Amino acid sequence: MTMPATPSAIPLNRSPARRARSSADERLLYGACVLVPVAALLLFFLFPLATIVWRSLVEEAGGVGPGNYLALFRTPGILRAVTNSLAVGLATTAVCLVLGFMVAYAVQRTRMPGKRFVSAALSLPLLAPSLVLGLGLIFLLGRNGLVSNLLGTRINIYGFSGLLIANVLYALPQAVLIIQAALRHSDARYYDAAEVMGATRWQQFTGITLPNVKFGLLSAGFVVFTVTITDFGNAVTIGGDFTVLATEIYNQVTGQMKFGIGAAVGILLLLPTGVAVYIERVAAQRQFGTGSESALPPVPDHVPARDVPLFLATMALALSIVAVVATVVFASFVRLWPYRLDLTTKHYAITLSGGYEPLWTSLGVSVAAAGIGTALLFALAFGLRRLPAAVAKTVYLLAVLPVGVPGLVLGLSYIFAFNLAGSPLHVLYGSALLLALCNFYHYHTQGFLTMVTGMRAVPPALEEAATCLGGGAVRVLGDVVVPVMVPTLLSVFFFLFMRSMVTLSAVIFLVTPSVTLGAVSVMRLDEAGFVSQAAAFSTCIMAVVAAAALAMRGAVTLATRRTVS
Amino acid sequence: MDLQIRNLLKTFNGFVALDRINLTVGDGEFVCLLGPSGCGKTTLLRIVAGLLPYDSGELLMGGRDLGGVPARDRGFGIVFQSYSLFPNMTVAENIGYGMKIRHAPRERIAARVAELLDLIKLPQVADRHPWQLSGGQQQRVALARALAVDPSLILLDEPLSALDARVRADLRTEIRDVQRRLGIPTIMVTHDQEEALVLADKVVCMNHGLIEQVGTPQDLYLRPRTRFVADFMGSSNLLPTGWVREAMPHLMPSRPDGAEAAFDACVRPERVSVTPAPGAEGRVIDLTFLGNIRRLRLAWRGRELLAETHQDPGVAPGEAVDVSVAADACAWVRA
Repeated sequence: MTMPATPSAIPLNRSPARRARSSADERLLYGACVLVPVAALLLFFLFPLATIVWRSLVEEAGGVGPGNYLALFRTPGILRAVTNSLAVGLATTAVCLVLGFMVAYAVQRTRMPGKRFVSAALSLPLLAPSLVLGLGLIFLLGRNGLVSNLLGTRINIYGFSGLLIANVLYALPQAVLIIQAALRHSDARYYDAAEVMGATRWQQFTGITLPNVKFGLLSAGFVVFTVTITDFGNAVTIGGDFTVLATEIYNQVTGQMKFGIGAAVGILLLLPTGVAVYIERVAAQRQFGTGSESALPPVPDHVPARDVPLFLATMALALSIVAVVATVVFASFVRLWPYRLDLTTKHYAITLSGGYEPLWTSLGVSVAAAGIGTALLFALAFGLRRLPAAVAKTVYLLAVLPVGVPGLVLGLSYIFAFNLAGSPLHVLYGSALLLALCNFYHYHTQGFLTMVTGMRAVPPALEEAATCLGGGAVRVLGDVVVPVMVPTLLSVFFFLFMRSMVTLSAVIFLVTPSVTLGAVSVMRLDEAGFVSQAAAFSTCIMAVVAAAALAMRGAVTLATRRTVS
Repeated sequence: MDLQIRNLLKTFNGFVALDRINLTVGDGEFVCLLGPSGCGKTTLLRIVAGLLPYDSGELLMGGRDLGGVPARDRGFGIVFQSYSLFPNMTVAENIGYGMKIRHAPRERIAARVAELLDLIKLPQVADRHPWQLSGGQQQRVALARALAVDPSLILLDEPLSALDARVRADLRTEIRDVQRRLGIPTIMVTHDQEEALVLADKVVCMNHGLIEQVGTPQDLYLRPRTRFVADFMGSSNLLPTGWVREAMPHLMPSRPDGAEAAFDACVRPERVSVTPAPGAEGRVIDLTFLGNIRRLRLAWRGRELLAETHQDPGVAPGEAVDVSVAADACAWVRA
């Protein structure tokens, strides 16, 4: 070992005055990091929500009272819509849980082939507006569908059964993701121990596997239920005469201008989702308590008696999802579905006013939502760690609240909050910026939780090391936090972008003839009877989102490779 | 420069983590904070680093109050248990980071990095990334990074705990060598008494937020002042006064004055000599072979005693032995 040359002291030439200033600057930085996102949350989430609660209590005559809620029960069809919503919601949840567990188990715990294909097929519905599935089902099973045509009979797909299938296809991927995560959390040593003690496979399945995913299943169930009863796209495409709450609220507001009753239905929708979200969060926390850091993931072995039937069933499901989406794409290139199957691109000449303009608006709105959202969420997650625990908890609670508010209710509340003549906020109404903000706050919670999880992965020791070496807040941010966070930032950005491209339920109330979005165009084309053009427009949206998804994969892979640790 | 800690008090929501601590770290001194987990040793280190605020007391570095100086302006070097190298930087960038922050010229940084890589005996890893190094190598780089800015104090937070036994022993000697050569005062937190004995000029034994005893490794091992220290630093026979008066009266003269229950006699196992003697009152309960030593459990005059010898004592479990303890072999500790 050689002795280094005379230590050359490198002094930190910082006077006390300069030190005081720089620490004040830092407090300002942390303060701004929390204050700006929280102020935005208050203005664009809590304030509209308060407004809708208030409006649901303002009676038509002008007084304040429960009038709207009482009127609700006298409004013809509302009770029907409630029972219909509950029925289709519960049925979808039950089917999704069974199928979702089957798929998740097959992918996570068996050695069946084709897992990548199954995962890819299941991510398809996430790339498209929900009504694309309804559209595809109509092309296949509708009155003028392929199957009716081949069999020569007329199947009636509109109504409960069609809506159920479309909802299942739409919600299944989300259920699978949650259950798969729960299955991944287990520890191979549980199974080794059981094996040594002489438990059979079935005993291991019922004694270890099922109890371990209990909370995952519960959580998936609530997510599916929430997504289903608040989804608008499928209900409007394939629901037919089967009215549900989501379509009813739309009719009351845009059809009959009964804003008070619309607000009351909105509050009604808030209840079950609020309860569901609360239980889901409690369940999620319990789930986390069981996993230990040193867990070894279970390695599945090949059991033909289990793997072959699972393979067949999962493949059938994956193929039917692909079939529904592929039908939409195929139908968009066909002259007259399903009678004249010669190929044409004529449906890509959109005749509805605006043409492809809404698609570009969608792109702009989605980039804005993702950009603004990622910046605000990053600032919030960064600043949150410097707050005293009690304050941080309150801010955290506020930040996860949006998940309990269905898009439909959020969109409606934006009308009440921003369409007020004379209010300074009115300038925002009808603007693309407001659409972007609405989409961001609609998906605020998921983005926030991803960001917080990513932020937790930044080792505190790294930040402390940088601080002890003389780095200020900005240095720590640039040299430690951001490099570690790049993959998280990318995935939050693309998550917000993709959701914003395909969502319909929040923005349906906010679009104006001059500023409208791609998903809304698909719905209008479908309503106007231009089904093939609706398919063509959907195909364009899917292409954009799929390209974005691929770009995200590439970027995240690149980013993680650069900062592998 | 020396570090002085005066009456340092730290509480977490009413729980007293550090109860008015007084401690001096002299120029060039290697001080180990030793204690079980939760004793406050890491809290004390983080307060010295400036990473935690404290409630009251004083922290003086060369007579200058550190109270208002944030961590980044203290100019200390720190090494954590979890390597904590920046994953996005190469080894050279990691080591040069502190100098870059101080706007040192590029050539000077490069020269210093090369010098330090030689010092830690890893001259060829400059362009690798942390994940390409072993744990021991990463920890050496972390040490080099801490040394690069010529810190006035080095803080080591259990730097060896995450390493394998073999690597740990090597790195232990290396840390000691580097610290002696550079003469930078150093504080290290550890829960491993052997590490503290090997490395420290001064060991600070802590328990429940209080300093139990400060002294050289010899002081703490041979002359523990409290029952806790005797127990934590190696194994010992702790004997109540009443029993000693009956069984080993020759130890009594060295006992300080005080109530019957105030002091216990501490006799290290290697100071208990055992000779086979048929018909004697001692009985061997069992015998453990530990390589360089043999450990015996004995029953003698109504108590169980622990003895250690380097030679084969020539007895088997159940056999009778004579037990004796020299008059100077005992330290009286506060019970």
